[in-house]
Amino acid sequence: MSSENKDFGKNKAFLIDMTKCTGCRGCQVACKQWNQLGAEKTEFFTGEGYQNPPLMSEYTFTRIKFRDYEKNGQNEFAFYKEMCMHCNEPACASVCPVGAFKKTKEGPVTYDADRCIGCRFCMVACPFGVPKYEWSKALPLVRKCTGCYSRVKEGLKPACATTCVSAITYGNREDMIKEANKRIAARPEKYLKKLYGSEEAGGTSVIYLTALPFDELGFKPVTKRPLPSYTWQALRLVPGIFLTVGSSLSLLSWFNHRKERIAKEEEQRKSGATPKEES
Amino acid sequence: MTAAKIIVNEIKGYHRFVKFLIVLVSLGALASLARFVFGLGVTTNLNDTFPWGLWISFDVVTAVPLAAGAFTLGAIVHCFHIKKLEPLVRPAIVTGFLGYSLVCVGLLLDLGQPQRCWHTMVYWNPHSPMFEVSMCIAAYTTVLFLEFLSPVCEKFGYHVPLRLLRTIEMPLVVAAASISTLHQSSLGTFFLIAVDKLHSLWYNPLLPLLFWLSAMCAGISIIIVEATMSHKYMGQPDESELLETLAKILPWGITVYLTVKVFSLVALTEGPLFNRPGLLVLFAVEVVCGVLLPLVMLMNGNVRENNRLRATAAWLVIAGVILNRFNVSMFGMEAPGTFYYPSFLESVVTIGIIAAHILFFVLIAKYFPIFEHHPETVDYSIPDHFRKNEQGHAHGAAKA
Ligand code: SF4
Ligand code: SF4
Ligand code: SF4
Repeated sequence: MSSENKDFGKNKAFLIDMTKCTGCRGCQVACKQWNQLGAEKTEFFTGEGYQNPPLMSEYTFTRIKFRDYEKNGQNEFAFYKEMCMHCNEPACASVCPVGAFKKTKEGPVTYDADRCIGCRFCMVACPFGVPKYEWSKALPLVRKCTGCYSRVKEGLKPACATTCVSAITYGNREDMIKEANKRIAARPEKYLKKLYGSEEAGGTSVIYLTALPFDELGFKPVTKRPLPSYTWQALRLVPGIFLTVGSSLSLLSWFNHRKERIAKEEEQRKSGATPKEES
Repeated sequence: MTAAKIIVNEIKGYHRFVKFLIVLVSLGALASLARFVFGLGVTTNLNDTFPWGLWISFDVVTAVPLAAGAFTLGAIVHCFHIKKLEPLVRPAIVTGFLGYSLVCVGLLLDLGQPQRCWHTMVYWNPHSPMFEVSMCIAAYTTVLFLEFLSPVCEKFGYHVPLRLLRTIEMPLVVAAASISTLHQSSLGTFFLIAVDKLHSLWYNPLLPLLFWLSAMCAGISIIIVEATMSHKYMGQPDESELLETLAKILPWGITVYLTVKVFSLVALTEGPLFNRPGLLVLFAVEVVCGVLLPLVMLMNGNVRENNRLRATAAWLVIAGVILNRFNVSMFGMEAPGTFYYPSFLESVVTIGIIAAHILFFVLIAKYFPIFEHHPETVDYSIPDHFRKNEQGHAHGAAKA
């Protein structure tokens, strides 16, 4: 988790160009099919926009968010594919007490359901609100996008990236960043000059390109520092504190008890009693 | 008479209040059964936006500092050697042991897969504060159990284990203090990962230190309250003189806490402080009623000498710590426009856990010698002969 020297450039990453997304939601369906996720009963206009279902959930690992806005007096739509960001240094993996989350060397962050004890710390920790819970079950587990690790391991692309004809590109992270910058340079009037995911939470394996400001699309502003470092700065002191407190208290009590023992012996010697008769 | 009959008769003789507690505990047990049958989603108000609710906020994050009396007092009495406070140690240990056992119960209820709780012992992730806390709680509950064995052995007159327990008493006290330091502070570390979630009124890098300091203040206050109440309601010896000593130590703890809190708020906080009026009110109540007011009260000698006022100040400190833990783990974590409140079942379980604590304390106090003054035979040298101890026991038993 504290992997200072690891080079994430060779990790596989998604480049999602939202100016090219048509909102067909093919990726949403492909994800459900590959992961065999159940359908959700949906209603229109329940969430903040036109999207369905209203939120990611145990049945929906990725979804397209709709944002309507006005451009030159015209109503326009913007789309945002919401999914696990597969952080370079994932908060979920760092806080999981049993190490159920893992950043694989290929890039995706996987989840080992056999280890999980269901403490839901990963849900509290993830800055993007990704891990979801099986609230309907008596003994629930966590669910989230695994970056189609089972496919990626075999050299295939994730299901959503395979389905999408236009907006999703999949490849080495450094190439994706290069490609994104190339697109911005080619059409500076179209793109916002910022890549979401290049630095967020210490960098992620999902990179977004948009035309609209990110906060308007519902992207969360996230710290640039890798999240595990926030807790690690306190946790790394643990062994030291343990030894310091333990040894100073031991010394202190040894010293105080010795003082008392000496005083007692002194008293006994004065009164002339043998040590055995005290008490 | 069969054993069952004896037990029934015994229970019939209990005070009304104790019977009431038994009812509450049974209700709580039923409610927790419902959680396993119907699932967390149906029985609680938790959802993907609020994965942690009342059970984490109260049963774990708040109950742990409230059980801090044992280690604080243990360190004060044994390490700093303020020996006259010794009579308070045993009740504090019993409270601590009960507190931690019930924290474990609360944690198990909240886990999605409680049958796998042993996984934390097998799959280590030292980067996780949760791993650290669960290891510490397991270790510390064991330590408290061993410390608690002393009155049990005394009751049944098991001399050899008693001698053994006396021998390891000091190492246990030191272990208790160091382990507690770790997990009390690591509960604060939990929330360091919630970088953009916890409001900056509470989020700062010194959160672990603040948790540890406030836990000690809460621990001392709990002892004051507990001794006052068991004197008043259970006919136990009056320890006011000792409590005055504790009440003299307490303002020092609060002052250090306040200093660190102000420093971290002024110098280390990054986000905006005044953008959420509701949270601001909670913060103000926490600091004014839970920190400043008891501090001013306890600096006054008259307050420290007056049983009622002293207990009131201690109650304020406790309330302040409770509010603080809720602010950090619940209110401060809520995004604007969202709201979580515990469901009926969640509340019944928590009430049951609190009732269980009081109930077991009363029962243990009834059957075990926890309020007796430690006989002078407690010396911490390597045992030379076992008879010395026996005399001490006879002396203790005569009183019982
Ligand atoms: S990302 Fe591609 S597949 Fe998904 S909605 Fe947009 S265009 Fe369709
Ligand atoms: S987005 Fe959340 S769940 Fe996904 S890898 Fe990052 S921290 Fe983990
Ligand atoms: S809920 Fe499971 S995966 Fe998430 S932190 Fe807890 S043990 Fe790990």
